[in-house]
Amino acid sequence: MELTMSINYLLGAFKPACHISITFADEKNRKKVPIKKENGQTVMVPLFQSQENIVGKISVEPVQGKKIEHNGIKVELLGQIEMYFDRGNFYDFTSLVRELDVPGEIYERKTYPFEFSTVEMPYETYNGVNVRLRIDDPEDPLNLLNNTAQCGATLTGYVLKVTISRGYAGSIVEYHDFVVRNYSPPPSINNSIKMEVGIEDCLHIEFEYNKSKYHLKDVIIGKIYFLLVRIKIKNMDLEIRRRESTGSGANTHVETETLAKFELMDGAPVRGESIPIRLFLSPYDLTPTHRNINNKFSVKYYLNLVLVDEEDRRYFKQQEIMLYRLAENSTSAVSML
Amino acid sequence: MVLVLAIGDLHIPHRAPDLPAKFKSMLVPGKIQHIICTGNLCIKEVHDYLKTICPDLHIARGEYDEETRYPETKTISIGQFKLGLCHGHQVVPWGDLDSLAMLQRQLDVDILVTGHTHQFTAYKHEGGVVINPGSATGAYSSITYDVNPSFVLMDIDGLRVVVYVYELIDGEVKVDKIDFKKTTAPSHSPH
Amino acid sequence: MIADGIEDEEKWLSAASAGLQQNAFYMHRALDSNNLKDALKYSAQMLSELRTSRLSPHKYYVLYMRAFDELRKLEIFFYEETKRGCSIIELYELVQHAGNILPRLYLLCTAGSVYIKSKEAPAKDILKDLVEMCRGIQHPLRGLFLRSYLSQVSRDKLPDIGSEYEGDDDTVMDAVDFVLQNFTEMNKLWVRMRYQGPAREKDRREKERSELRDLVGKNLHVLSQIEGVDLDMYRDTVLPRVLEQVVNCKDELAQYYLMDCIIQVFPDEFHLQTLDVLLGAFPQLQPSVDIKTVLSSLMERLSNYAASSGEVLPQFLQVDAFSKLNNAIGKVIEAQADMPVLAVVTLYSSLLTFTLHVHPDRLDYADQVLGSCFNKLSGVGKLDDSQATKQIVALLSAPLDKYNNVMTALKLSNYPRVMECLDIETNKVMAKIIIQNIMKNSTYISNGDKVEALFGLIRGLIKDTDDAVCNEDDEEEFKEDQNAVARLIYMLHHDDPEEMFKIITIVQKHILAGGVKRLPFTVPPLVFTALKLIRALQNGDASKAEEAAAAATRKKIFQLLNQLIEALSNVPAPELALRLYLQCAEAANDSDLEPVACEFFTQAYILYEEEISDSREQVTALQLIIGTLQRMHVFGVENRDTLTHKATGYSAKLLKKPDQCRAVYSCSHLFWADDQDGVRDGERVLLCLKRALKIANAAQQMANATRGSGGSVILFIEILNKYVSSFTFVEYCTVRFSYENQGSIMTRCGSKFRYLYFFEKGNTQITVNTIQDLMELITTEMRSDNAATDPAAEAFFANTLRYIQFQKQKGGAVSEKYEPVKA
Repeated sequence: MELTMSINYLLGAFKPACHISITFADEKNRKKVPIKKENGQTVMVPLFQSQENIVGKISVEPVQGKKIEHNGIKVELLGQIEMYFDRGNFYDFTSLVRELDVPGEIYERKTYPFEFSTVEMPYETYNGVNVRLRIDDPEDPLNLLNNTAQCGATLTGYVLKVTISRGYAGSIVEYHDFVVRNYSPPPSINNSIKMEVGIEDCLHIEFEYNKSKYHLKDVIIGKIYFLLVRIKIKNMDLEIRRRESTGSGANTHVETETLAKFELMDGAPVRGESIPIRLFLSPYDLTPTHRNINNKFSVKYYLNLVLVDEEDRRYFKQQEIMLYRLAENSTSAVSML
Repeated sequence: MVLVLAIGDLHIPHRAPDLPAKFKSMLVPGKIQHIICTGNLCIKEVHDYLKTICPDLHIARGEYDEETRYPETKTISIGQFKLGLCHGHQVVPWGDLDSLAMLQRQLDVDILVTGHTHQFTAYKHEGGVVINPGSATGAYSSITYDVNPSFVLMDIDGLRVVVYVYELIDGEVKVDKIDFKKTTAPSHSPH
Repeated sequence: MIADGIEDEEKWLSAASAGLQQNAFYMHRALDSNNLKDALKYSAQMLSELRTSRLSPHKYYVLYMRAFDELRKLEIFFYEETKRGCSIIELYELVQHAGNILPRLYLLCTAGSVYIKSKEAPAKDILKDLVEMCRGIQHPLRGLFLRSYLSQVSRDKLPDIGSEYEGDDDTVMDAVDFVLQNFTEMNKLWVRMRYQGPAREKDRREKERSELRDLVGKNLHVLSQIEGVDLDMYRDTVLPRVLEQVVNCKDELAQYYLMDCIIQVFPDEFHLQTLDVLLGAFPQLQPSVDIKTVLSSLMERLSNYAASSGEVLPQFLQVDAFSKLNNAIGKVIEAQADMPVLAVVTLYSSLLTFTLHVHPDRLDYADQVLGSCFNKLSGVGKLDDSQATKQIVALLSAPLDKYNNVMTALKLSNYPRVMECLDIETNKVMAKIIIQNIMKNSTYISNGDKVEALFGLIRGLIKDTDDAVCNEDDEEEFKEDQNAVARLIYMLHHDDPEEMFKIITIVQKHILAGGVKRLPFTVPPLVFTALKLIRALQNGDASKAEEAAAAATRKKIFQLLNQLIEALSNVPAPELALRLYLQCAEAANDSDLEPVACEFFTQAYILYEEEISDSREQVTALQLIIGTLQRMHVFGVENRDTLTHKATGYSAKLLKKPDQCRAVYSCSHLFWADDQDGVRDGERVLLCLKRALKIANAAQQMANATRGSGGSVILFIEILNKYVSSFTFVEYCTVRFSYENQGSIMTRCGSKFRYLYFFEKGNTQITVNTIQDLMELITTEMRSDNAATDPAAEAFFANTLRYIQFQKQKGGAVSEKYEPVKA
C-alpha cells in the first residue's frame, strides 16, 4: 500500500535519477482540501469535479550531470477503488492516458504540458471506515474537535500517475493525488419524513424531519410529538449514522458508525409534549450518500432517534436520509429561526 | 406630696355599667400613691381595675360587695395623717355627722372617709375632717336624688391636706378644693 | 438516612461547584484571549454541571447562581465579539453545535440575548425561537431554571411599548405572547414535579416544589410590569390565558399560588374590571384548593382599593362588584361539595367585610351575605369546628365593628338566623361581643321590640342550657358573662316612662325565664332600673291625669319589683333580696305608699327571720334594717311601732353581746326623727341607751369571767358618746361646695341634731348623772389590773373627753349644760 513511495526520500536507499513535478494549470487559484494520509499527516490537495478539464505541466529534471534514457513518458489519470478487505488491489474505474514523449534521452529539464478534457469522474473521493484507527472522544460535548475524523483506507480516490518507462533500470513513477467532489443541485422532490411509531401501551411518538434529503451544510429541522408516554424517559438523542457496505452476496460487509450524537431532550416528557429538533450538519464530517458505486460499495446515512429510559433501555427508530453536496456558492444561508 | 384617691360606691354592675369615661381617662396609673375605697365596688373586676391605677388599695366593706372579707373599718397612716375608712351603712342614722364624728373619735383618725349616701361632703370637724367622696358612678341612691358621679383626691403634704373633689355635672368634670391644716395630733395633745 | 442524604448533597454540590469553577477558569482564559472556540467549549463544559439530578432545588439554585454569574461574562464577551465583526447569526448557530442540550440551550439564550440587542432580527422571532427551543428540557427542575434564565435575560429586551425593541413587527403583543408561553411551560414543568419520584417522598417533594413557586410566579410579575399591558390586553389576552393554564393544570399547589399571585401582582383596577373572568375560574379549581384564602385576599384588596379614593367607588357600582363576588362564592361553594364549613364562613366573612367597606349604605347587601351564609350553614347543623366558629364570630362581628351600632345589626333580618346556627359556646362569645359593642359605643336600645330582638340574639347568656357549670374556670367565666349582661341592662333605655316600663317588663320576662343561677346578677340592675323609673315618674309638673297614670304605673312597677325580688328566693339569695326589699321600701316611702312599703319591710323581716342565719350577715342585715327604718316617714304609728319593736327585738337577739349592744343603741335613733313631723320620743331613746348599757355590762361580766380582754370598755365609751351626743346641742360647720356661686366655699352654720334641747329638765339631769357614772366606770375599767391596756380604747376615751371639754369651753347654753359634767 505504498501509494506515496515516490516521495519517500528519507529511505535514501535509492537515489532517484530525476525529479518529476506535476503542476496544475490553475494550481494557485484552485481550492485545496485536506486529506489525511495513512500516517496521520494531513495534506492539502487540489479539488476537482467531474467534467472538468484537468490541465497542467509535468517537468522532468534529471539529477545534475545525469541523463535519462527512457522508452517513453506518459501521464495517466486513474480513478480507483480499493476495498478494505482486499488491500492493495485497486480497481480502476477510470483510466485515461496521455503520451508525453517518445523514447529518447533527457539531459536537462524538460516540460510537458498535458490536458485531460472534460474528464468523467462520476464518483467522489471517499475515505471509508477504518475501524482500527478510529478515534472517538465522547467527552467532547461540542464535537468541535472533530476527533471522529477517520484516517482510513481510500475507498475511492483519484490520482495522476507519471511514468518514465525504462528498460532494465526500472520505470520512474510519480503520483499526484487530487480530490474530486461532485455537486448536486437541490433535489426537485424533497419530502419530509413523518412517521408515527410506538410500543403498544407504552410509548407512542410521532416524529417529523423537514426533509428526506439534506446537503452537507444543511440543518435538520423537525419535532417529536409524544402521543403516549408510559415509560420514564431519561433523555432523547438524535444520531447520525453512516452505513458503509462493501462487496456483494456472501461477501457483503457492513460497517456502521455513529457520526453524531445530539441530545434533543433532557428529562421525561408527558403526553402532548412536542420537542423541537434543530441539528446543524456542518460540524460533522459527512459525505454525500453513495449508492452502489460500481457495484463495489455503498455509503448510506441514517437519522437514528434514540430514547433512553431510566433503566437505560434504549428505544430507537432509524430513518435513512439522503445526503448530497450542494455547490458551496449556492449554499443559501440557513435560516435558523 | 402624696396623692390619695378616695373613691367608692361604684355599684358596678348593679347600678351602673362602668365608671364614666371621663373619670377613667383621668385615673391613670402612676400618679396616685394610695387608694382608699369606701366599698360597694361590687365585683372583682372593679377591684382589679382599681389595682391597676394604684396597687396600694384599701377597701372597707360595703353591703353589696361580692367580696365579704373586706374589713368593716380600716385605718391607714399616710405621712403625718391618720385616715379612717368605713363604708357607712353601719353608722345610723346614715350620713349623720354626729354619729360619724363618734366613729372618727373611736378610730382616732384625722380624716374619716365614708360613703353610702352617694353625696359628696367634706366637713371640717373637731380639728379633723370627715369626707364622703360620693359615688364614682353616680349610682342610684335611696338617700340622695340626682347623684352626680364624684370622687375625691387628697394631696397630703406635711401637715396640710388639700382635698380636691371631681364631680361630673352634665358631662363636664368640675373640680374644687378645700384646704385643711392639721394643727396638732388630736390623740396626743388634747386641749 | 436523611442526614446522610444532606451530607451527600453537600458533597455533590461542592463537587459540581468545583467542576463549574474549573471550567469557568478556562473559559475566562479563553475570553481574555478572544478565543471563541475555547470559550464555547469551556462554557459548555461548565454548564454541563447543571445537568446534575442529585441536588435539591435549594442546592441546585446555589449552583445555578454561580453559572448565572459566569454567563453574564460570556454574554458580554459575545457582545464584544459582534462588535469585533463576528456575525451574531453565525454565533447563534455556533452555540447550537453543542451536543448536550442543557448547555446548548443556556448558550442559546445567552447568544439570543445578544442577538436581540443587535437588532439584526426581530426581537419577537428570537424570543419565539428561544422559548420554543427550551422545550427540549423536560426535566422539571432543570427546565424551570433554564426558563427562569431565559426570563431573566429577556426581561429588558421585550418589545414593550416605549422599548427600543418595539417596532413595526415587534409589538407588545409579542412580548406578552412570549412571557405567557414561558409561563405556561414553566407551570407545566412545576406541576409535573409532583408526580415524579417515589410516592413516599411526596411530602418532601411538595415542600421543595413550593420553594420553586416564585420562579413560576415571576412570569406573572413580568407581565404586570409590561407597560403595554393595559386593561384591554389584560382582559382579552393575559388573564384568559393565565387562567386557562391555572385551571387546566389541575394542581392544588399551583392553583392556589397562582390565583393568589394574579391577585397580588396585577392592579386592583384590572381585577375590578375583569371580575367576571377572574371569578369564573374559581369554581373550576380543584376541590382541595384553599379558595377561601385567595378570594378573601381579593376581597380585602378590593376593599382597600375602594377605600383608597372616592373616585373609584362608582366603578364598583358600575361593574356590580358585590353581586359578582356573591355569585362567585355561591358557585364555588356549589362546585366544591366537600368544602369545609370553615371555608364557607371565611368566604362570607370576607364578602361581608367587603360590602361593609365598599357599600356601607347597602344594608341589604350585608343582609344578603348573611342570608347566603345562613342557607349554607343551616344544612350542616350546629358548628363544632373551632376554627369555623371563630370565623363566624368574625363574620357576625363585622357589621358591629363597621357601624359601631348594634341597632344596625338588628336591622339585618338574617343576622339572628346566623346566630341560630351557633353552638351555645359560640353564641355566648358572640353575645359578649355584642354587649361589648353596645357598651363601647354607648348604644341605647330604646324600644321593646329591639330589646326583644337583642335578647333573642344573646340568648346564650340569658338562658340556662343543659350543660351545667362544672369547674371553677367556668364559674369565673359565668360571673364575667353575667356581669356583662347586668351592664347591658343599663343600655336598655327610653326616656318615655311608658316605653321604659315596657322595656323593663320584657327584660323581666327574659331574666326570670333564664334560670335561677343568673338571677343574683341580673335582678339587681333591673331592680335599680325600675327604681329609677319610679323616681322619673315622681318628677315633673304633671297634670292630674298624668299624675294618676304615673301613680298606676308606679304601682305596677312595685308589683314587678316584688316578683323580681321574690324570684331570688329560689336561688336562694336572702341577703341580696333583703337589701333590695329595703331599697324598694324606701322608694315606696318616697312615693307615699305605706302598704307597699310595709309589704317590702315585711318581706325583708321574713327573710331576716327565716333565711339569714350567719351571725355576721345578721349584723349587717340588721344595720340596714335599722338604717332604712330610721329614714321611713310613711308609716303610721301602728306600722311604725310594729316594725320598730321587731327591729329592737332582733337587736337584742344577736349572737354576740357587742353586736347586740351596738344594734340596740342604734335603735335609739328610731325614736327621734330629724324633721318636725317625725316621731320624737325622748324617753324611749334613753330606754334604748340604758338597755345598751345593760348589755355592755353583761358583756363586761362575761369578759371578766373568761378573763378576756377589756373589749367591752369600748362599748362603754361608745355608749358614753351616744349619751353625750344625745345631750349636746351640736353646733358645727358643714362645708359644702357650691359651683353656682363663683366656686366659692359656702360655710353653713346649722343646728341639725338638737333633740336634747327639747328634753325635759329632769331627764337631762338623769342624763348628766348617767354620763358622770359612765365616765367613772370607764376610768375604773381602764385602770383595773385585769384589763390589758388597750391603746385604741384609751385614744377613743381621750378623744371623747376632749370632745366634752370642747363642748364645755364653747360657752353659751351648751357649756351650761356641761357644767355639771366633770371631765
